Amino acid sequence: MRAIFDFLEQDTRAASFARIMSSTLSVLILWQLLSLMVTNRLLLVPPADVAASLLEEARSGAMWVNAAATVTAVVTSFIVSIVLGVAIGLALASNRLLSLTGGPVLSALNSVPIIALAPLFISWLGLGFASKFVLVLMVAVFPIVVTTEAGLRAADRQLIEAAVSFNASKWQIFTTVTLPFSLPFVVGGIRVAWARALVGIVVAEFFGSFAGFGFAILSASQTFDTARVLGYVIVLGAMGLLGSIAFETLERRLAPWRQE
Amino acid sequence: MSAAPILRIENVGKIFTRAHKPSVEALRNINLSVHQGEFVSIVGASGSGKSTLLRIIDGLLAPSDGKVYVDDTLVTGPGRDRAVVFQQDSLLPWKTVVENVAYGLSLAGIRWSEAAKTAQRFIDLAGLTGFEQHYPHQLSGGMRQRVNVARALAVDPKILLLDEPFAALDAQTREIMQSELLSIWQQSRKTVLLITHQIDEAVFLSDRVIVFSARPGSVRREVRVNLPRPRELEVKRRPEFVALVDDIWKLIEAEVRAGLKQQ
Repeated sequence: MRAIFDFLEQDTRAASFARIMSSTLSVLILWQLLSLMVTNRLLLVPPADVAASLLEEARSGAMWVNAAATVTAVVTSFIVSIVLGVAIGLALASNRLLSLTGGPVLSALNSVPIIALAPLFISWLGLGFASKFVLVLMVAVFPIVVTTEAGLRAADRQLIEAAVSFNASKWQIFTTVTLPFSLPFVVGGIRVAWARALVGIVVAEFFGSFAGFGFAILSASQTFDTARVLGYVIVLGAMGLLGSIAFETLERRLAPWRQE
Repeated sequence: MSAAPILRIENVGKIFTRAHKPSVEALRNINLSVHQGEFVSIVGASGSGKSTLLRIIDGLLAPSDGKVYVDDTLVTGPGRDRAVVFQQDSLLPWKTVVENVAYGLSLAGIRWSEAAKTAQRFIDLAGLTGFEQHYPHQLSGGMRQRVNVARALAVDPKILLLDEPFAALDAQTREIMQSELLSIWQQSRKTVLLITHQIDEAVFLSDRVIVFSARPGSVRREVRVNLPRPRELEVKRRPEFVALVDDIWKLIEAEVRAGLKQQ
């Protein structure tokens, strides 16, 4: 038993895979047990039914139509969020006046539940790609702005002083100290942004679209097809998990010294 | 010592002015010369402005009064003729040992192949051979300070400035590092100015020890160390050494007590 725990606590790829597998398995077992107790199939369906429903969606092709709609919208918007977020963060970190003036507006916008504005965006931009794009951008850009600015400002004064002492130019200080120091922060922000983007896309698709995972979830729940609802939720969960793992790995690659 | 001194400090004073607070006079009328190849230490109570003086010499701070000349050139900012070893190891955590040692050279625009070759020489000199591809977080505090020393030496400065380089190390590691610094110095024959609050460290390493008074810092006394070189750690047990350390301590003791009351 002790040996198993020791293995699971290791910082290796095999151990982290085993951790994910064992937590997934526990959820499945718990779910199966619950669905034995809750027998109303409108409320809860067992994992096997959900899997069957997912397979059916894949076979009929509905899954791919929805995936194409959701993935194009969320990925395009996410990439634009990263570029825009980093750019705004850079601008704020390099200009004190801009940061002091723009900061309060940004934090106000960040604390507004932008999701609540979804119906408005849809009436402005119509159903489909444009409204999804803007809504995802609005929720995903802020964590990146905030962490980019914080990361650029967090650079160790001692390191900057050493660079200055070596006669480094402003640009050299930026490229050799400030920027590399901020990268893990930025990636941390991107990780949070990805989770938010997935929420954003589903909400956007709830309110107005003809295809996508959010659209599929809404239409399945309207026909009381619980298995299909849960199936798509699981697909979204998997997307979130994959993104989270990828960005976390990247964060660690960029800052291996932070774990010690 | 007939040649002109390589470092000349003339009437240097520094006053820090702060918003809504009384200004602080850190240094007053410092005059000091260091000759080519000399090892000079400045000791003083904490708050005596000795680190401030080092930062002025490096060009990180501008003096309020007076001038600093390196090789007859007025210091107006950091330059390649001076390099600092800071108290905290200010190594870039995302760079390997060899990249860190070559950092100053890369900033000066020297090609990587050449910079790496130079870096390797100083890695070997600092006893870091075999650790070239390690990252700072994989090294002990003593090893990191060796990287720091190698990095400063690699740019081939005319003057090496050491700002309490071993203060963050434990007492035993510090002793070893002192004797290693001496052997590195003996091989490179650099001019060294060391700031420290460890009197025995200053005496062990230096040709001259400058004793600073408490705030505002000024030169209280200059003590010549005539112990023969090369010195081994055993020197520290010789009666002349102990007597010298004791003399300096007597000079500083009153200042330290005064400094305590000031704070």
